[in-house]
Amino acid sequence: MLSKILPEKIWTIIDRKVNLKMVNEIRFRVNKPIIIAIGGKNYFLSENGATSNLGSAIFSTKTIIEDIIFRASECSIYSVNEQIKKGFIVTEKGVRIGIAGNIVEENGVIKTMTNFCGCNIRLPHNVKNCSLSAFPFIVSDEGVFNTLIISPPGCGKTTFLKDFVNQLGERQSLNVLLLDERGELDNNLTSNFFDKIGFASKKVGFENGIRSLSPDLIITDEVGQEEDIDAILYASTSGVKVIATTHSDNIETFSHKPLFQKLIDEKVFKRYIVLSKRNGPGTLEGIYNENFSRMMTKF
Amino acid sequence: MKFIFIICIFSICLLVGFLFYSKYNKRKKFYTSLIMLAEKLSVEINFSRERLKILVENFDAGVRRNLLGVDEGFISYLEKKDELSLQVFSKANCLKQDEKEFILLFLKTLGRSDVENQTKEISAYISRFDEKKEETTKEFKKYGSLSLKLSVVAGLFFTILLI
Repeated sequence: MLSKILPEKIWTIIDRKVNLKMVNEIRFRVNKPIIIAIGGKNYFLSENGATSNLGSAIFSTKTIIEDIIFRASECSIYSVNEQIKKGFIVTEKGVRIGIAGNIVEENGVIKTMTNFCGCNIRLPHNVKNCSLSAFPFIVSDEGVFNTLIISPPGCGKTTFLKDFVNQLGERQSLNVLLLDERGELDNNLTSNFFDKIGFASKKVGFENGIRSLSPDLIITDEVGQEEDIDAILYASTSGVKVIATTHSDNIETFSHKPLFQKLIDEKVFKRYIVLSKRNGPGTLEGIYNENFSRMMTKF
Repeated sequence: MKFIFIICIFSICLLVGFLFYSKYNKRKKFYTSLIMLAEKLSVEINFSRERLKILVENFDAGVRRNLLGVDEGFISYLEKKDELSLQVFSKANCLKQDEKEFILLFLKTLGRSDVENQTKEISAYISRFDEKKEETTKEFKKYGSLSLKLSVVAGLFFTILLI
């Protein structure tokens, strides 16, 4: 897939000199060195692969960035404009490309983004069993607990979710609804028990999904807006379990976020799982119950 | 022997005339088909937002034949097999250099912007292509049939001369 998106020269270097299985992100910024994130650390891309030496770094240009976005949209930017308005494109293989540029607004409505000046290619990885340590805390004989996975960006929340879906599918026959707002979640899923609603808002996904698909469990990524909170409350009062993710540094910071106060006060989430990049993305820092009491120390 | 020679001369005259006729005909058909493709793209981009490659591939095969391989070159570029250059016109010898460069500009704008701007751009190019289509239709009417007639006359002239 990257061979179709990246310029020939850059792809050749990455293909021959870099272990793609270890790469989390490839960042392009206009007139800045190309950065590759390996194991949570940033390196410059040079003719010989990853390096810490700025002097040998390959620099990105506006043309390179525009071409990457053009190719990522399968040469049809108009077809992915709704995604571009939100600041990203997701390719058919579930690779998410974040885009930086100028927002074009008209009468307060975002029309598109132009003058692309940067992009960040996030490579999904399937890490089998990465959710196993936390699995017994989320799934018990009583069923699945409403769970929120917390971490800063790039710490493996989505990878964790995908593995969890597969692990659950191997052990139980619960009907899982994936709300895949950014098209990243259903890549390489082996479970036979999931449905997907893609590229819809949480509000639409939760309401339509609960009404039409009768899920036992809804799994969704990146809760961060008022309407997401309302959607989770709607699900919890409908008897549907929810597993979601959100961005935060740690459990202490999260517990003071005004957006989540209602969910915290009503103890909607019974489990909080904190991830970090401390030993690479996906490092399990702790599992907490609805009172923020630690159930398991650092792993 | 002389009879065979006369037939060859007559055939050559007809062939030359037909080549000129064919050239003007190809130019006319090319622009007619290009406009049809551009209009189809404009509609589909507006409504279905389908990918460019699929839109071009699914376009009427009969009409695509009149595009003299330019559509295939464009698809090859969309598949990242080739660069988008004047090379796509390798089979379109009936087009002039400035025409090729202009059509190349059109192809380079495809897929590069949102729906509203893309359809505006395509409309602007269609207007220019319409002018070209009128020009090539007039050329064909004027020079196409004239070429055939002249070739027949020339053939007969040489036939009589040789007889």
